[in-house]
Amino acid sequence: MTFQAILLLVVYFGILLLITRPLGAYMARVFEGERTFLHGVLGGLERGTYRVLGVDPKEDMKWTTYSVAMLMFSLATLLFTYAALRLQGVLPLNPQQFGAQQMPEHLAFNTAVSFTTNTNWQSYSPDVTLSYFSNMVALAIHNWASAAVGIAIAIAVIRGFARKSANGIGNFWADVVRGTLYVLLPICLVGGVLFVAMGVPQNFDPYTAVTTLEGGKQTIALGPVASQEIIKQLGTNGGGFFNANSAHPFENPSALSNLFTLIVIWSIPAAITHTFGKMVGNTKQGWAIFGAMAALALAGMLVCISAEQAGTPHLQAAHIQTAASALQPGGNMEGKEVRFGIAPSALFATVTTGASCGAVNSMHDSYTPIGGLVPLFNMLTGEVIFGGVGAGLYGMLMFAVLAVFIAGLMVGRTPEYIGKKIEKFEVQMAMLATLVLAASVLFFTALSSTIDLPKEGALAALNTWPGSAYGGSDSVYGAATGNLNNSGAHGFSEILYAYASGTGNNGSAFAGITANTPWYNATIGLAMLIGRFLMIVPLLAMAGALAKKSQVATSSGTFPTDTPTFAGLLVGVVLIVGALTYFPGLSLGPIVEHYQMLALATH
Amino acid sequence: MIDLIFIATAIGFFVVAIAYTHGCEKLRGGSHE
Repeated sequence: MTFQAILLLVVYFGILLLITRPLGAYMARVFEGERTFLHGVLGGLERGTYRVLGVDPKEDMKWTTYSVAMLMFSLATLLFTYAALRLQGVLPLNPQQFGAQQMPEHLAFNTAVSFTTNTNWQSYSPDVTLSYFSNMVALAIHNWASAAVGIAIAIAVIRGFARKSANGIGNFWADVVRGTLYVLLPICLVGGVLFVAMGVPQNFDPYTAVTTLEGGKQTIALGPVASQEIIKQLGTNGGGFFNANSAHPFENPSALSNLFTLIVIWSIPAAITHTFGKMVGNTKQGWAIFGAMAALALAGMLVCISAEQAGTPHLQAAHIQTAASALQPGGNMEGKEVRFGIAPSALFATVTTGASCGAVNSMHDSYTPIGGLVPLFNMLTGEVIFGGVGAGLYGMLMFAVLAVFIAGLMVGRTPEYIGKKIEKFEVQMAMLATLVLAASVLFFTALSSTIDLPKEGALAALNTWPGSAYGGSDSVYGAATGNLNNSGAHGFSEILYAYASGTGNNGSAFAGITANTPWYNATIGLAMLIGRFLMIVPLLAMAGALAKKSQVATSSGTFPTDTPTFAGLLVGVVLIVGALTYFPGLSLGPIVEHYQMLALATH
Repeated sequence: MIDLIFIATAIGFFVVAIAYTHGCEKLRGGSHE
């Protein structure tokens, strides 16, 4: 670890701590329907939105109504995006004249699902596929809506713990409108302007052709980048305007914009832990969750940065200097921007996968095996290390329920959390949510590691990359392992990473896999749907059951959940569940690759 | 035609998710509180 790396971590966590309390308290006021300093400006717009939608924000929904409203809203916006992407050729704001050829059915399905589920997995290169309209309307609507839905679900789950003997868990429509207007919109307005000030473009110009210093021709892609960039990061969406994502100098021009991006990604996920504490009437409960998340985050950051800074035996064998010096960063710089170096890249990888963001400023496929294991493990444990907007908190609350249940079994204490008895149904729902994620990741990974699709005949199209749509020629892969850049353990990691990213609604890629084929687009699309909605439903069910319960008085048999001891237990449960579920998979991928690396094996 | 397959897949998934919602509610009804 270099001094710069330590300084970066201290500054980053310091700023995050400073943000958490005020933003968390503000969000608690917003979602409890209290007046804030923005109600004078936005209150009319909020009321007008309810009138147009025909919504009574005071109507308290049962969890089933809340769940069905969320599902129907998601389906409607998914179908809208599918249609808009397929019809981009006849829609406006399309100076590059992209059409349905660049957006075949399987890719439109994958992309519409991807943005609806807050994943923003991109099987395509946006700069040669999407019109400005597709970017700004078809996809951007989800950058807002999926983030607001995530926050709404977390708030509904919090209400389950906070309310006593209640039938409802809030109003879905009011939660989405309030999250959008009072949380996402103001931060995006300020943050978007700050991105422009840091050098991120915001225009509608056609791409610019320039002559390089060597006399060659280069096309420079432009567009409304800043407005996309801020909601991409704030909403933990992660879908880039450019194919290189946050490694592109127009998305992330400098070390300052890189730090700003990292803060934006974790701002709401960190703050919502305090919102949780405020809403349940004990802010220490929120800080215990924050502490558990921060401990897991710090451990991952230290491992990832150290592994990347250490480099590889291959580099040392080639007599390449791997120690950091005043003139070069040392370590494993493959796939990393020289503008950022080791620590800001490895920190970004940890933050983006701790959250369900998926933006990248370096290529995770080029990380050392242990460096790459960290982002993979972050996703496999359900992205609860601050996590996606809302999604991180409700995922961690799922683990908290399991933690008090396990603690109860171990020491004979009554399983209670925030004054609510944790009984059979709550544990069933928490386990269902956990198992759904594991089943999706492992099933699809196993399937794609073994399936042998035909290379000839009508079914050959199932695993064909439509290169002719981009000026090249089609590639027929046959077996689903044919799409990989690497064989052996690293190739397996690429498949495992793809389905972990899809199921976890992260969206980052190891980038060593050609995923724009009907097979991968369809299966990763299904993984994204399962990971988002089949996890949310049992957690809403748990919230509905908890809201109905009365508060249990604290007794000598109550396990305190607002202490560092509980935070430690929570960290242990997350690690144990993650390790037990995925150790065999990780052994076949990054762990065996690490030992191959130490033996100087190449493959 | 292929468009219809993908649209039907998406709609089918959400129909399953709504059934899953009601399945969870049914399970709660049968559990001890």
